[in-house]
Amino acid sequence: MAGIELRNINKVYGNSFHALHDLSFDIRDGEFMVFVGPSGCGKSTALRMIAGLESITSGELTIGDRLVNDVDPKDRDIAMVFQSYALYPHKTVRENIAFPLLMAGLPKTEIASRVDEAARILELTTLLDRRPALLSGGQRQRVAMGRAIVRKPAAFLMDEPLSNLDAKLRVQMRAEIASLQRKLNVTTIYVTHDQVEAMTMGDRVAVMKGGVLQQVDTPQNLYNRPDNIFVAAFIGSPSMNLYEAVLNGRTLTLGSNLFEIPDRVFECRPLLNGVSNRQVIVGIRPEHMNDAAIRPSSAEISAPVTLVEALGSESMVHLNIDAPRVNAGDPDAVADISDEKAAVARFSPKSTVRTGDIARIAVDAEELHFFEPDTRTSIW
Amino acid sequence: MHSAPRLNVSAILINAAALVLVLSYALPYIYLLMTSIKPAADVQQIPPSFFPAVVSFENFREVMRSSTLPRAFINSLIVAVLTTALSLSVAVPAAYVATQYRRRITTIFLLFALVTRMVPSVALGVPLFQLLKSLGLLDTIPGLVLAHTSAAVPLALLLMSAFFEGIPKELEEAARMDGCTRFQAFRKIVLPVMTGGIAVTALFTFITSWNEFLYALLLTSEATKTAPIVIAEYNSVYGLAWGAMTAAAVLYSLPVIIVTLALQKQIVGGLTFGAVKG
Repeated sequence: MAGIELRNINKVYGNSFHALHDLSFDIRDGEFMVFVGPSGCGKSTALRMIAGLESITSGELTIGDRLVNDVDPKDRDIAMVFQSYALYPHKTVRENIAFPLLMAGLPKTEIASRVDEAARILELTTLLDRRPALLSGGQRQRVAMGRAIVRKPAAFLMDEPLSNLDAKLRVQMRAEIASLQRKLNVTTIYVTHDQVEAMTMGDRVAVMKGGVLQQVDTPQNLYNRPDNIFVAAFIGSPSMNLYEAVLNGRTLTLGSNLFEIPDRVFECRPLLNGVSNRQVIVGIRPEHMNDAAIRPSSAEISAPVTLVEALGSESMVHLNIDAPRVNAGDPDAVADISDEKAAVARFSPKSTVRTGDIARIAVDAEELHFFEPDTRTSIW
Repeated sequence: MHSAPRLNVSAILINAAALVLVLSYALPYIYLLMTSIKPAADVQQIPPSFFPAVVSFENFREVMRSSTLPRAFINSLIVAVLTTALSLSVAVPAAYVATQYRRRITTIFLLFALVTRMVPSVALGVPLFQLLKSLGLLDTIPGLVLAHTSAAVPLALLLMSAFFEGIPKELEEAARMDGCTRFQAFRKIVLPVMTGGIAVTALFTFITSWNEFLYALLLTSEATKTAPIVIAEYNSVYGLAWGAMTAAAVLYSLPVIIVTLALQKQIVGGLTFGAVKG
């Protein structure tokens, strides 16, 4: 086991495309770190550089205490699980799992016992003599995991290992991988574009965009204290609603709605104190907008309802708030087709609002987020 | 409710079209076979008959008795086997690098291989003659192997490139993560996965050399003559020995047919490689 340290890592391709900019952070020994971000953010490139499959243009990468910039993948003592699993089609499950041990020159008896142990942990014992072509997607995924854990490496690298599975199996495997990692306590870097996977699996999550690290923190901190509007909108589903607003003293003007911001917000965010007629970007999480008829609040706004999605345990209510909406810059984000000004609120299933109603919405003003319009960073 | 089996018109039409196509390919060969088992007198009868009136192996006995043909067969076999081995040992790694480590130069490299296929063999005959002569390899087996290899490598390269395009890069990367060097990953993982493609390429390379006529005619004389030249020589100033010629041609075609049948599974697997997601 070992920690991994990235210091000012840059990746520039031959065509001058700068894929990674000054990536710096530490991954602690035994930690489960998730790289998350939209397509093209550089998360897989970063993982492949740690694996040794991509060269490092500049910067330093250490695994344990060893500088590994120019070390071959085979000598880095790390195992990788690929998105496509990359199982060897001409080898049986047993031979697939045994292959890294064979390459390491271990005695046959030890290889056999380690393969049996990995198969037992991953419930592959009955499949050991099958070829990968005869396995289901979930079973193939387990074999890929088996090939990684059998080596007892210093670190696991996983590149979107669940993206080829159906939704139900993905949820199951997500929990299994997370619990396996906790059990083995091996440093793990997991790449995904799915923020739910990132939030549920990672001890810490590194959010990336356009080759630049946006924030590294625990899932809870990313959700509650995002550094900028990209992280704020990327983490959480549905996304945080972001609007241009004006703060004047303690009064916030959001379109045609005005409401008072509680004192606690100013205690947490001292930079907001004494502001007069200042343009800000305000962020409201869907769960912080409720049906005022059920949960009244001192901060209320009204907005027409464009769509209600009843999910049983909650209702997603699409609202047309008459304030300029802010684009968080997520290239993968899908615009709300109901209206470009639409916000999404998470209402109690008891709410009786219907499409076309003018809903009264209770805003949990203590939970509002504030960002600088110019730098798009959080105001604290 | 059971429906009565319906006459599938489209299937009948497709099968009929396939049969016509197969016959159009096979008919000349069947005629060759029929001629080879006719008695010498029947071979040149006017009008010619398709089927022999009497089956006779007299033509086969005659060619087997000849002093030149067995030697030419051995020459052809040695040249074809060496050409196949040499071509594959060059083309397989080259195609792998050209497809898996794609750069502008590798694209140009593959394009150039294609261009060499466009130059008529006859145009290359004279330069090859001069080249082999200056190397002292004229009328030698190694000389002919080199000439055949120059023609077979571009074909093998293009075929293997197409097969390697279908192999995911992650396979080699996984092997490298599992402790292999690049070469070990290629040898232990990539090559075994590619057996179907290699078998197809080997067969086409073998056939290219086995059937090659022009270079063999230009670059060999008595000692290293290959079978196609000897077969053609049955058409001599003394007349056209149809019977012996067809018998020799039938014998000459047998190794290719046997190899094709033996490698049938790999060939079909190779030709459909990458068509079905595993």
